[in-house]
Parts: sequence; structure tokens; C-alpha cells
Amino acid sequence: MTRRTRRKLADVARYTILGLWLVVVLFPLFWSVMTSLKPPYEWFTWPPTWIPNPFTLNNYRVAWFGELLDTQYVQSASIQTPFHALVNSLFIAGVSTALSVALGLLLAYGASRYGILSERALFRFLMLRMIPPIVVAVPILLYYATLGLLDSYVGLIVIYVVSTLPYSLWMTKSFIDEVPIEVEQAAELFGASRLRTLWEVVLPLIRSGVVATFLFILILTWSEYLMAVTLSATKISTLPVQLSKYEGATEGRLYGWQQAMSIGVTLPLIAIGYAIHRHLVRGFSFGMLKR
Amino acid sequence: MARGQGRRYKWTILPVVAVPVLFLAAPIIFFQIYFSLHQWTAYLGDWWEAEFVGLENFADVLGDERFHWSLVRSLIFAGASTVLCLLIGFTLAYLMREPFRGRGLFYLLFITPMLIVPIAIGYNFEMLLVEKGPLNQMLGWITGQEIRVSWFAQPIPAFLSIIFIEVWNWTPFVFILMLAGLSGMPREPIEAARVLGASPLQIFFQIQLPLLRPVIVLALILRFLEALGEYPKVWALTRGGPGSYTETMPVYLYITSWQHFNISKAAAMSYLVLIIVAAIVYLCIRILLREKRALEALYRPSS
Repeated sequence: MTRRTRRKLADVARYTILGLWLVVVLFPLFWSVMTSLKPPYEWFTWPPTWIPNPFTLNNYRVAWFGELLDTQYVQSASIQTPFHALVNSLFIAGVSTALSVALGLLLAYGASRYGILSERALFRFLMLRMIPPIVVAVPILLYYATLGLLDSYVGLIVIYVVSTLPYSLWMTKSFIDEVPIEVEQAAELFGASRLRTLWEVVLPLIRSGVVATFLFILILTWSEYLMAVTLSATKISTLPVQLSKYEGATEGRLYGWQQAMSIGVTLPLIAIGYAIHRHLVRGFSFGMLKR
Repeated sequence: MARGQGRRYKWTILPVVAVPVLFLAAPIIFFQIYFSLHQWTAYLGDWWEAEFVGLENFADVLGDERFHWSLVRSLIFAGASTVLCLLIGFTLAYLMREPFRGRGLFYLLFITPMLIVPIAIGYNFEMLLVEKGPLNQMLGWITGQEIRVSWFAQPIPAFLSIIFIEVWNWTPFVFILMLAGLSGMPREPIEAARVLGASPLQIFFQIQLPLLRPVIVLALILRFLEALGEYPKVWALTRGGPGSYTETMPVYLYITSWQHFNISKAAAMSYLVLIIVAAIVYLCIRILLREKRALEALYRPSS
């Protein structure tokens, strides 16, 4: 076998394996998109329809604008105003992410420059995230019920800030560690205060890193389900909670509406993920691994 | 402001630690202990008037076979999905470690599953696996017969499907970690070995794999711990069914509190689980700390 044919064979093998996994990855997504475009009578047919006939955007109208078009299914799901959930999701995810990143940035700066957290202590922070949320869900619910914080924005935001803090701390720290300390010493020589040094010297240098951290944490808070469903009644229900409501009691799941909803909830995250794909490694490995 | 003089500023961390501990962690632990020692369900009156029952709830949980099985299931679920994620993620990363046509596109498409809202993944897969779903249809094409497996009505297919959904969701995580590890690897030792006449297999097992060890350990630990606590996908997909064959620890905990409304038992259970998981996490963090130092040593020469 010559070198060239061997190379070609290796190429074929590579594309075959990657292609196979690609099909596994893409098929569920394809199915989800197609289902979201199917009219109701095609949701449960056998054999299942692959390509909707005709294509319809009605599911999106129902899921996102609350228009009740297919009256036969209306009774089975309590349609709430989706915009209410959208605004909730935007607000809760936005505020808690901003707070988490701000707090994480300050802590990370302290840890990186002043060693206020030893490496061991930094790792202890990870414990916050690694305890399964379900374990603390019941006590949190009871505690909040006592305080009157159930179904309140503050309650959910606090939980999100605390549970994402390890991510923002580790991720911002990995960016700050890359800034040469000499830059700050120069600023200090000119008499800048520490906060000002952080704000005017360090922050501009790591701006894209902070943005990436913000977007990364937004992915986590936006898609969180368990705490949102536990701590919300109606006032603060978020999009993932809303999504779980599309289950008719008798007909099974309202596939079309559900998929129209879930695509709307997911698309922004995919866009964000693609935009910061270079930094995803840092995020998911708590900033322990760079790329 | 050298990195060494940290001790002087150590106290500044205090408020950031003290506030969450005092106002979040302490009350949570208190409620957990209080309710596990008292008998209270959501039907009863005010919780502070609940009856004191001592360790009865703990005894109840410890003697509950359903709880034991849910723990075993969680461990199998987490273990199996972690190993599969690692195998697939590593294979993909290994094939993509060097540039080729379409690499960027493959990368973006491969990371997509981990960007999707977990509960949406659960519903999506439910749709694929139902009796009248496309999976059975495709199996029918392959075998040439009419296939109507109800994946959620039989124990083993149902359990396999929750493992698969976890693998589908999180293989990208292992993949990006492995790819980062493989492409950040110092080239000199590999080149040297090649010059000395080592075979590709030897290079793989004696140089690349050992160098990659910290990354592998990191991926294994993070993945395993996350899978132990996995709830939304399994809930959306099977609700623990059929019977309780896919009832992992988080699902059983959820059912105890929100379907049986047995808050006291759930508190005792979550307390026990907290202790078990905390022990596992503590152990993992010690390992992580060691591996992180190895990782830093690995990256220093290459950058």
C-alpha cells in the first residue's frame, strides 16, 4: 500500500465515523424542527411523517402568541401567556447572570492578585455546584415558604447567583491570570486605586473573556428547570417551566406546540454557544482547561 | 501587590462567604435536619408544630428498598453514561486532533447537544422513542419487519434510553475537553519517539495517553458528578417508569416530595444523599486538585 492510498483510507474512515455521529447528533434536532412545523393530525400518525405536509407555522403562533387555532386541543393544556414566561426568563437569567459574573470577577481578581482564596479553597467552591440540586430543593422550598420568598424573583435569583458563582469565579480567574501583572503595577505607580485599576486597566483587557463568561452563565441560568419549577407558582414561571406544561392529560404530549416552544427556547442558546465556542472549554471545565 | 502577600487580604473574602453561609446554607441545613427529625407532610398544619419522631424517618429511608435501588440505579446510570461519553468523545476528538477539511463545521455541530435546554432534550427524545416514533420505523426498515417496541414499557430498553439521552447530551463536553487536551499537547516527545522508531500504537499508549491523563480524570469526575444529579431529562423522558425501573435517586427524591408529599421522608433522604455525595465530591476534589497541578505542568512547556 502506498502512502497516498493509506492516507486516503484514513480519510475515508475518519469521515465515516464523524459522519455517523453527526447523524446521531442531528437527527433529534431535525425531528424536533419538523414536528414543530406539522399540523396536529400528523403528530401521532403511523408511519410517522418525516416532512410535514403541509408546512404550518400555526404551532409557533399557539406556543408563542397564545393564539388558539386548533380548538380540539385547547382543553387539554392550560395555555398561559408565553410572553410572560419569556419576560421572566430574560429578567431572571439576565439579572442573576450579571450578578454572578460581577461577584465572580471581584472574587477572581482577589484570588488571582491577592491570593484571598487558596487553591484548595477555590476547589471547595466547586462543591457548591457539584451537589445535586435536587438534594437541596426541598429544604430551600420550606425555607423560602417560611420567609415568604416563594414565587418571588429575589428567591430564584439568589439561588442562581450562588449556584453559578463557581463557574464565573473559575472562568474569570482563568482570564485574569493571563493578564501580565506589570500592567497593573504601572497603573499603581500612577496612583490609581485598586478598584480603578480593575475597572480601567484589567477589565478592558479581558473584556471578551468577561462577555464569554456572561454568555456562558446565561446558558446555565436560562435552561435551569428544577429550581424554577420548585420555587415558582405562576408569577415567576420561566420558559423551561412553561415548556413542561405542554402535556395533555388525555392525548399525551402536544408535540407540535411543545416543539415550537422548545425550539424558540433553545435557538438563542445555540447562537450564544456558537458565538463563544472558543471559550466553552473554559466554562464547562470551570476554567481549569484553556483552549 | 505580589501574588505572595495574600495573607493580609484574606479577611476580605469573609463577607462573601459569611452571607451565603448564614442566610442560605445554615437555614437549609437546619430545615433539612428539622424535617427529617419531625413528621410532617404538606397536608398537615404549620410545620413548626410537627411531631418529633427522632430518627424514625432515617430508619424509614434506610430500610426502604426503593431508595436503595434508586441509588444503585443512579450509580449505574452515572457510571455507564460517563464511560460511554468518554469513549465516544475521545474517539471524536482523536479523529479531529489535526486540521482537515470541514473540521470547524464538525466542531460546531458536535457541540450543539450540550447547548440545548435539558428538559427540551427529554421531550424531544420521548417523541423519537414512542411506539409510533421514527426509531421503530427505522428499525423496521433495517430488519424488514414491522417493529413496535415500546421503549418505555420495558425495563431494560427504558434504562438504556435514559443512558443514551445522557450520552447524547454530554458527549460534546468530553469531546471539547479531549480536543483541548490533545491539541494543547507538547509535540516534542511525540516527534522524538517517532524519530526513535516508535509505532503509532506505542506513541499512543506510552506518550499521548499518559500526557492526557489529567484531562481524562477531569472529564470523568465532572461528568460522573453531574450525571449523579441528573434530573430534568430523565423526568421528561420516563418519569421513572416503567414501574420504577428508571427511577434514579433524584427522580425518587422528587416523587417522594412532590407526589407523595412526604416532606419529612424526603428531608431525611436528601440529608443522607447529601452526606454520600459530599463524601464523593470531597474525594473527587482531592483528585482534581492533584490532576490540576499535573495539568499546569503539562501546559507550561507548550505555551
